[in-house]
Amino acid sequence: MSFFTTRQLRPLILLAACSLASAGPQGEYTFDDAQAFVGTYCKSCHNGKSAVGGFNLERVASAASLRTEAQKWIRANARVRNGEMPPKGSPAPPLDQRERFTGWAENALRAEACAAGITAGPAPIRRLNRDEYTATIRDLLDIHLDIGHALPADGAGGEGFDNAAETLFLSPLHSEKYMEVAKFAMDFAAKEFKSRAKVLVRKPGPGVSADQAAREIFENLLPRAFRRPVRAEEAAPYLTLFQAAQKQGQSFEESVFFSLRAALVSPLFLFRVEPPNRGAGDRPLDQYALASRLSYFLWGSMPDEMLFDIAAAGKLQDPKVLKELVRRMIRNDRSLGFAQRFTEQWLRTRELGTEKVPDAKLFPTYAADEELRSDIRFEPILFFREILLRDLPLWNLLTSKHTIGTGNLAKHYGVKLPVRQAATKQPQWVDLPEGSRRGGLLGMSAVLAVSSYPYRTSPVLRGAWILDSILGTPPPPPPPNVPALEEAHGAATPKTVRERLTKHRENPVCAGCHSRIDGLGFALENYDAIGRWRDEDAGKPVDASGELADGTKFEGPEQMKAMLLEKKDLFIRNLTAKMLGYAMGRGLTLKDSCTVDDIVAQLRENDYSAQTLVEAIVLSAPFRNQAAMPPQAPARAQKEQNKP
Amino acid sequence: MTMRKPFLSRRTLLRGAGVGLGLPWLEAMVPASGFASSAVPKPPVRMAALYMPNGVNTHAWTPEASGRDFKLSPTLEPLQDLKDEVVVLSNLWNEASKGGDGHYVKEAAILTCSTIKKTPGADLGNGVSMDQLAAQRAPHATPLPSLELGVTPVAIGVDAVVGYTRVYGSHIAWSSPTTPLAREINPNSVYQRLFGAASGRTANSAKMDTLLLDRVLGDAKRLRAEVGAADRLRLDEYMSVMRGLEERVVRAGNPAASAWKARVPIDPRRAPTDRPKDHAEHVRLMLDMIAVAFQSDTTRISTFMFGNAVSNVSFRFLEGVSAGHHDVSHHQKDPDKLRQYQLINRWHIEQYAYLLRRLREMKEGEGTVLDNSMILFASALSDGNSHNMHKLPMVLGGRGGGRIDAGQHLVYSEDSPLSNLYVSMLDAFGTPVERFADSTGPLAGLLKS
Repeated sequence: MSFFTTRQLRPLILLAACSLASAGPQGEYTFDDAQAFVGTYCKSCHNGKSAVGGFNLERVASAASLRTEAQKWIRANARVRNGEMPPKGSPAPPLDQRERFTGWAENALRAEACAAGITAGPAPIRRLNRDEYTATIRDLLDIHLDIGHALPADGAGGEGFDNAAETLFLSPLHSEKYMEVAKFAMDFAAKEFKSRAKVLVRKPGPGVSADQAAREIFENLLPRAFRRPVRAEEAAPYLTLFQAAQKQGQSFEESVFFSLRAALVSPLFLFRVEPPNRGAGDRPLDQYALASRLSYFLWGSMPDEMLFDIAAAGKLQDPKVLKELVRRMIRNDRSLGFAQRFTEQWLRTRELGTEKVPDAKLFPTYAADEELRSDIRFEPILFFREILLRDLPLWNLLTSKHTIGTGNLAKHYGVKLPVRQAATKQPQWVDLPEGSRRGGLLGMSAVLAVSSYPYRTSPVLRGAWILDSILGTPPPPPPPNVPALEEAHGAATPKTVRERLTKHRENPVCAGCHSRIDGLGFALENYDAIGRWRDEDAGKPVDASGELADGTKFEGPEQMKAMLLEKKDLFIRNLTAKMLGYAMGRGLTLKDSCTVDDIVAQLRENDYSAQTLVEAIVLSAPFRNQAAMPPQAPARAQKEQNKP
Repeated sequence: MTMRKPFLSRRTLLRGAGVGLGLPWLEAMVPASGFASSAVPKPPVRMAALYMPNGVNTHAWTPEASGRDFKLSPTLEPLQDLKDEVVVLSNLWNEASKGGDGHYVKEAAILTCSTIKKTPGADLGNGVSMDQLAAQRAPHATPLPSLELGVTPVAIGVDAVVGYTRVYGSHIAWSSPTTPLAREINPNSVYQRLFGAASGRTANSAKMDTLLLDRVLGDAKRLRAEVGAADRLRLDEYMSVMRGLEERVVRAGNPAASAWKARVPIDPRRAPTDRPKDHAEHVRLMLDMIAVAFQSDTTRISTFMFGNAVSNVSFRFLEGVSAGHHDVSHHQKDPDKLRQYQLINRWHIEQYAYLLRRLREMKEGEGTVLDNSMILFASALSDGNSHNMHKLPMVLGGRGGGRIDAGQHLVYSEDSPLSNLYVSMLDAFGTPVERFADSTGPLAGLLKS
């Protein structure tokens, strides 16, 4: 079995994206068209025994190769899409032909994969990321500290989230920090009444030896720390460790907390491990593993007592139970963490304050007001969470009659938000007044700032941000060696951004993408680099008109959002893929895109209800099932056998 | 809610308290002349690489003339008083970094000279970086094998436009092709770490940690036997870092058995802030941490990132600069943007010069710590506007324990391998290699024969 990591397949909506941009009266693209494309642009090099890079395209000449040589297709397709192939110096197809080819290939590959049925996909062991680590220790020991802040931040992989198994590597620095933080946590817990009660469930005394008490303590805590029942041979070494600590002259309590410190550094705590499936095909996931998948998806932390109990009763695979659980888990306060981690990374607003800091001189009110910054940061997070809690249609994220209000935000936006006077600092769900122009994510400061430069807006950045984060159709990378504007257009360089971009689009090399990007960004020009409304920019009236390559015209954010709403399936598909990637903690595969299609269909039937999305993900095959362990690579297996 | 920081015991605090030695970033610093170092005959060689994202304004970078009588360019001018202690290297390139995209493939490879795998994460792949190769070839020399520093957290997300995880653009030190090394960005926590590492351990606390680490390694071994091949690699990574830590703990708990001794003690009372007020102060403090680490000999190897690849940190704090770093680097030949680009480059060179001067102020035996160091300033692009990876901007400061023939502008034939520089540096560091990546030999004229 092989799994294709096919992030490159994300743009299987590329054709749709093109139709958004440049629908043309072209006939249906067929396998023969694709073969003609390959014949014209690829085969002169990738042919015969001496095929360049050992990449021979003979084997993809039949329709069956979409199934048998899918990996090869995926690779070829990704390189064509990214403009890496054909290489510089070889005849290159025009953008529209390139995209017709890749769009066709993606759909064809997906159709083949889906025809074979939805399967579970890989579930590699995954280290707890910094947030999960902090939350897990919080819930395990009942200590409320930002305990993980000393750990290095985690990078992201897969669908762009920092819970992706593939990029959660370990450095020597981690080993030191894990030791320090575990000590700090246990020292702290040893002094806290509530934590002590959680840990010290038994005390040595008459009739109870120290070893017996310690054993009971470990039997109580280790299964919670490792999030599954612990076998005797796994628990026994902790008792040995306890005894060794006693031998070193430590007291009973010291020895207990010391041994539990080891539990916090153990891979059984630090990694999420699912018992491997040694069978031939997919199987329903182990109950406890499923409990962890649920709790880390929706809470970013370990399962609670209720989840453990349901798992112990073996009821967690029951769809009815899962449906009910999902709703309960969303209502739990801990789902705020999910809303925050998911939204901030999906929208990239987490960069505000680190990679993106609005200039303090140009935006002194923003720089000086920590409360405002916090309100701005939490606005999309809380908005998303309310939509989830209230089970509203997901297209509210594009345009909505409601928002999250505070006194600060009302002032910042210059909009009369009906915020309760008694609690203006408390973020609250409010109705937007008519004509507020603030409905949906695209009217929120965090989004508008993160898609700007620190000192000015950029229609290109904002347009590209919409294509990537909202529609899931990021523009391809700029071709290498685009001539600078001056070279291309002579000395009379236009001054305004709009004029420069208009010139830029006169170059056909640039026009292909910028005709898609720029218009979307221009429609948001009435928002400044921290999202305030403006009618003038540098003394000139703002021109918020945008046009896409297909001639679609709009003016200002409301018309542009109305246009996006027409394409809401594209948005919903992207959101679904993002959330499935987050839930699985890995990049999506070709098979997963079948699951995404399936979920989008369910959403369409359920008025795009927010809770349906979460529920459908939890009930999906990749989430509930487990793939068989991939067979070992022969060379590697051989090597291991040869070991003494 | 924040956690109170220090993991310093009262014992260690008291131990350090008797030593009134100033630290280099404090103006009240007392030069450490003659202290501690007199006992050791030959000071060790140290090595650091400072990485600047986004390339340079090439019009203002290259010095005039080659050889010893070269004239510093406007960008390099802050090195004027250090001219005899640096070598400017022209015309090197990193062939492995051509193609791919404009940034990640170049910047992640600056110390590996390898071509990274294009991936949003699943099959991360690079080479081993030259600093880590040195650390692996000189194990146990110092309490910390190496020190990875930066000022911005790892960049989030996957760059969907080019298809690389931003993990690539956030790491230049790679201990294996699949393992980038996490960086520290908090100067206070780096200082605590250096102090802790240099202070050693009581035999008892080392013993306890060893017991603990044995336990978790036991768990890892059991788990390893149960999982599939891919997951085993993750557990191998876990066991490798935990074993590394265990070795260090054992050595720290038995100072008598170790040849290592702090060359200059670290004063726990002089820990810097954990909230630098701005980018400039933050950079300075992190460079100070390299100076402290090198002076005390807590480590001999360090890497520092001024920013992540594609960093758009605002440099408006500089007079005459109105934009962010990456923005300005795409100057499109606009004279004003080029001017700003150069100012940003020059600011980085000023910081580099600051570190060199700090190390020069630290007396060590007959010379200075700078004499015994090799501090590389590097960018993975020349002209950022075109993502050009030819003629990389490279300066090497310090004399590498007398091995570096400093005070020159060395101009090589076009497209000479950057990896040759690393072959020479690894030689001077005392960990010679026959080859590094695509190297063809040492760099001519750099080392004294």
